[in-house]
Amino acid sequence: MAKKFVNVTVNGEALELAASPGGTLINALRDQFGLIGAKPGCDSGGCGCCSVLIDGQVRYSCMVFTQSLESKSVTTVEGLESAEGLNALQQAFVDSGAVQCGYCTCGIIMAAHALLTTNPFANEDEVRKGISGCLCRCTGYHKIVQAILAAAPAYKNQTIA
Amino acid sequence: MLDFEVVGKRVGNVDAQDKVTGGRGFPMNYNLPRMLHGKLLRSPYPHAKISSIDVTAAEALPGVKAILTADDVPQKVFSPVYFVPTLAVGSVQDMVLLSKTVRYAGQPVAAVAATTLDIAEQALDLIEVEYEELPIVFDVDAAMAAGAPQLHENAENNIAKSVVHETGDVKTALAEADFVFEDVFQTQRVHTCYMEGRVCVVDTDRQGNVTIHASMQHLFGLREKLAYILDIPESKVRVVKPPYIGGGFGGKLEVTEMEPLAALMSFKTNRPVRIAHTRAEDFITTCRNPIKMELKTGVTKDGRLTARLCTSTLDCGANATHGAKVIEVHGLFGFSYTYNCPNRHWEGRTVYTNNIVGGGFRGYGAPQAAFAVEQQIDIIAEKLSLDPIELRLKNIHQEGETHPFLKSKFTTYRLEECLRRGAERIGWDKRQPAGSDTGAKKRGIGLGCTVTWTSCCAGQPDLYEHSGAIVKLNPDGSADIASAAIDLGCGQNTTFCQIVAEEFGLPLDKVKMTYADTSTVPFDAPMHASRGTYAAGGAILLAATEAKQRLFEYAAEMLDAPIDSLDVKGGYVFMKNTTDKKLSIAAIASIADSPLVKMTDNGPVQDGPSFRGTIYGRSSLAPEFSPVVGGAMFAEVEVDTETGVISVERIVYAHDIGKVLNPLGAEGQVEGGVQQGIGYTLMEQLRFDEDTGACTTIDFLDYKMPTAVEMPKKIECIFVESNETSGPFGAKSLSECALIAPAAAIANAVYNAIGVRFHELPITPDKVLKALGKY
Repeated sequence: MAKKFVNVTVNGEALELAASPGGTLINALRDQFGLIGAKPGCDSGGCGCCSVLIDGQVRYSCMVFTQSLESKSVTTVEGLESAEGLNALQQAFVDSGAVQCGYCTCGIIMAAHALLTTNPFANEDEVRKGISGCLCRCTGYHKIVQAILAAAPAYKNQTIA
Repeated sequence: MLDFEVVGKRVGNVDAQDKVTGGRGFPMNYNLPRMLHGKLLRSPYPHAKISSIDVTAAEALPGVKAILTADDVPQKVFSPVYFVPTLAVGSVQDMVLLSKTVRYAGQPVAAVAATTLDIAEQALDLIEVEYEELPIVFDVDAAMAAGAPQLHENAENNIAKSVVHETGDVKTALAEADFVFEDVFQTQRVHTCYMEGRVCVVDTDRQGNVTIHASMQHLFGLREKLAYILDIPESKVRVVKPPYIGGGFGGKLEVTEMEPLAALMSFKTNRPVRIAHTRAEDFITTCRNPIKMELKTGVTKDGRLTARLCTSTLDCGANATHGAKVIEVHGLFGFSYTYNCPNRHWEGRTVYTNNIVGGGFRGYGAPQAAFAVEQQIDIIAEKLSLDPIELRLKNIHQEGETHPFLKSKFTTYRLEECLRRGAERIGWDKRQPAGSDTGAKKRGIGLGCTVTWTSCCAGQPDLYEHSGAIVKLNPDGSADIASAAIDLGCGQNTTFCQIVAEEFGLPLDKVKMTYADTSTVPFDAPMHASRGTYAAGGAILLAATEAKQRLFEYAAEMLDAPIDSLDVKGGYVFMKNTTDKKLSIAAIASIADSPLVKMTDNGPVQDGPSFRGTIYGRSSLAPEFSPVVGGAMFAEVEVDTETGVISVERIVYAHDIGKVLNPLGAEGQVEGGVQQGIGYTLMEQLRFDEDTGACTTIDFLDYKMPTAVEMPKKIECIFVESNETSGPFGAKSLSECALIAPAAAIANAVYNAIGVRFHELPITPDKVLKALGKY
C-alpha cells in the first residue's frame, strides 16, 4: 500500500500528512494530528459530525481522500479560537444553551462558520438551510439556530480573506 | 415559591466550552497504546444454523491477533438489559454471546482483533461460515400461528412474555356502555440515532482484571453483565465513567456482543481492544419496538370512560431483551394508568420474530400507546360532539388521588392546568372543524396528552433503582461530586452541579463533577426512565446536605455559634440575623484538611477546631415512590394536499415539571423531543428486505430524520410548577415526556387539517395522498 506524503495547511499550520490510498481526512485529523473535533458519525457523508472547511468550503471530512489534499488549506473547529478566546460562534453556542451532548456541535459550528463568513446577513431560513447537512438528535436545532443568528453581527465586521 | 440562587436560572451546559472546542470527553476519542481494532462478523441470514466456521485463512492474515467463534466463548444464557438484575425473576434470558443459531440478519457470529481496522475488515471476508438456512418468520401474527418456526425453546407460539392487567369488570361495563369504540393502531421500528455510535475500549491484565471505557448508560450494569457473561467476579471488572457521552436516548441500556468479545480478545492477546460499530451496525442494534394496539373503549353519552379494553402485541425480534419490559411499561403506564376509568383490561404479548432486536428508546412503550390512546379519545370526542379537551378533563386523574400502582403517587399532578394553559397559548378556540380549511394547504391543530412517571422503576420489584454519591469540599472552597450517574447529553452534569451549588450557596463555577468508576463510587441505577434529576440528583443533594452539616459543625465551633443559627450564601457561612459573624467556606474547608497543630515557641499546639477531617457527605438510597407527571402537547400543522407533505408549524408543550431546575436545559429537552417526535410521526422507519431481512436503511441518506429545515420555528414551553417536595428543590422529570406526546398531537392535528385519520406510523406523503384519493 503506497502512502504518499501530502503538504497541507491545517488551521494555519503547514503540516505533512501521510496519505494512504483510500485514507480519509477525518482519520488523518484524528489519528495523525490529534484533532478530535471532527467526529465519526456515519462514515458516509450523511450526518455532518465530521464537517471541516477545505479552502473555505464546508466539506464532510469522512468523504475526502487525503491523497487529494496537496496544497489545500483545512480549517477545523480547533482553528476557530484565538489568543483572545472562543470565536463569536463558539461563544454564542456556549451562551445560548445550544450544546447538549455536543457530538454534532463541532461539525455544525464549522457549517455555520462557513455560512456566516460568506453570508453574515443570513436570515433564519438561510441559516436552517445552511446547517441542514448536519444532523442533531438532542437539541431540535432550536437554540443552535438562535446561537448562529446571535453570532452573525460579529461576522458582519469581518473582512473576507 | 422558594427563591433560589442557582437552581431555576438559565444556565448553559457546564461542559459547553469543552464541547465547542473539540469535545475531549467522548468515549469515541479514547485509545490506548498498542490497542487492537476489533470487528464483528455478522450473519447474512435471518434464521439459520451454523454448521461450520473455518477461520484458518483469516488467522493467517498478517496483523490478525485473535479470532473468536461460538466454540471459543462462554455459552451462558443471559438477558442483557442493564436495569434488570441478571437473576431477576421475570427477566427473559434468551441470549448467548455467540450462538450457533442465528435468529436475525446481522447477528454477530464471530469476532476478530487486528492491528488495524482495515486488516480486521479484510479478515472478516476470509472467515468461511457454512449456514443451514431455516424457515423464516418476520410477522408477529405468522409467528404466533400454529406451525410457525419455533425461534426459542420455552416460548410456545413464539410468545416471549405475556402479561394481563385488569381491574373492575370490563365485560359488563362494555355491555352497558352507551357507545363502544373499536380501533387498531400500529407503530413502526425507528432507531435512537444517538450521534456518537456504540464504542468500547477494553483493557485487561495478567491478574484477570478488566477495565472498560464505553459509550453507555449504566456503569454498574455493564460491570454486572460483563462479569456474569465471562464468569468472572464483579470485583475484577472496573467500568470507568466517561465525562459525558454523545447521546443515549435509551439505546445504550444493554450489554451487546462488543464489550464481552473485546474483553476476551484482550485477555487472549494481552493488548487493549477497541470495537466501534459502523453506523450500519448501529442501525440494527436496538430499536423502538413496534406495537400493535387493539383498543375497545366504552363510554357514556356524556363522555365518561367506563370501560377500557386493550390488546397490545409487541414485535421484539430475535431476542426479548427490553421487549419483555417495554410491554409492561407500555400497557400499565402508557395505557392503563393514563385515564381514570374503573374497568380496565389490558393484555400484552412480546413476540419473537426473525427481525432485529428491539431495545429501549425514550418513552419506552408510552409513545406507541399515546399515538393510539390519544387518537381514540379524539375519535370519541368527535362522535359525542364534545370538545377534545373537555372530554379529557372529564376523565383524567386528579392530584391527591390514590394511584392504582402502589408505588406511583399523584402527590403533585397538574395535567389539567397544562391542558388549559396550553390550549390558551395555541389558540384552541380558533380551531376549525376537521377538514374544513380551504385551499390546497390545509391547517389543523391537535392535542396529545402524556401521563408519565418520574423514576419509572421506583418501588418495582426486581429492578435497580438506587443512586448514591459523594460530595466533598476542597480547601479553596469549591465542591466536587463523585457519582456514577452519566451525562448522556441532557445536561445531567449541569443539573447536578446546580443542585450542589445551591445547597452550599456557592456559585456554579465552584462545583464540578469529577472522575468516577465502579470501584470508587456507590451503586447507581442506569441513567434512564426519567430518573436523573429526581433519583440521582436527589442522592447527590442528600450527600451535599450531609457535607453541609459537617461544614456547620466546624463553623459552629469556629464562630462560637449554635449550629441551628447558621446558613450559607455567596460562599460564606454566617449566622442568620447578624452580619457580624461569618466565615468563607474556603476558610472552613482549609482548616478541615490542614494539620492538627501549629508550631509555637513552646512546641506544637492544637490549632482551630477540636476535630479534623475532610468535609464530605455520602448517600445511597432509592426513591420511595414515583411521582406522576402530566403533559399536554399542542401541534399546529399544515398539510399540502398536492404533495402530501405535512409540515409542523408550531408546537406548544405544557408540562407538569414540579420545579424547573434549569429553564434553558428544560427547553432544550422539549425542543429535542420535538425533533425525535416529528421524525417518529412523519418520516423515520427502519426498513428491511422482505426476503432476507437485511436492513436497507443503514445510512442517513435512506433513514430520514428531521434536519433544521423540517423543524417548526415556534416551539413554546409552558412549565407548570407545583413543588414536588419529594424531589430535589421540588423537581420531578421531563425528558421522556417530550417524546411521548408528539405523535399523538401531530396525528390529531393532521386529522383536524384534512379530516383523515392515520392509524399507522410514519405518516408519509405517499400515505397522505393515497388517503386523499389522489392515486
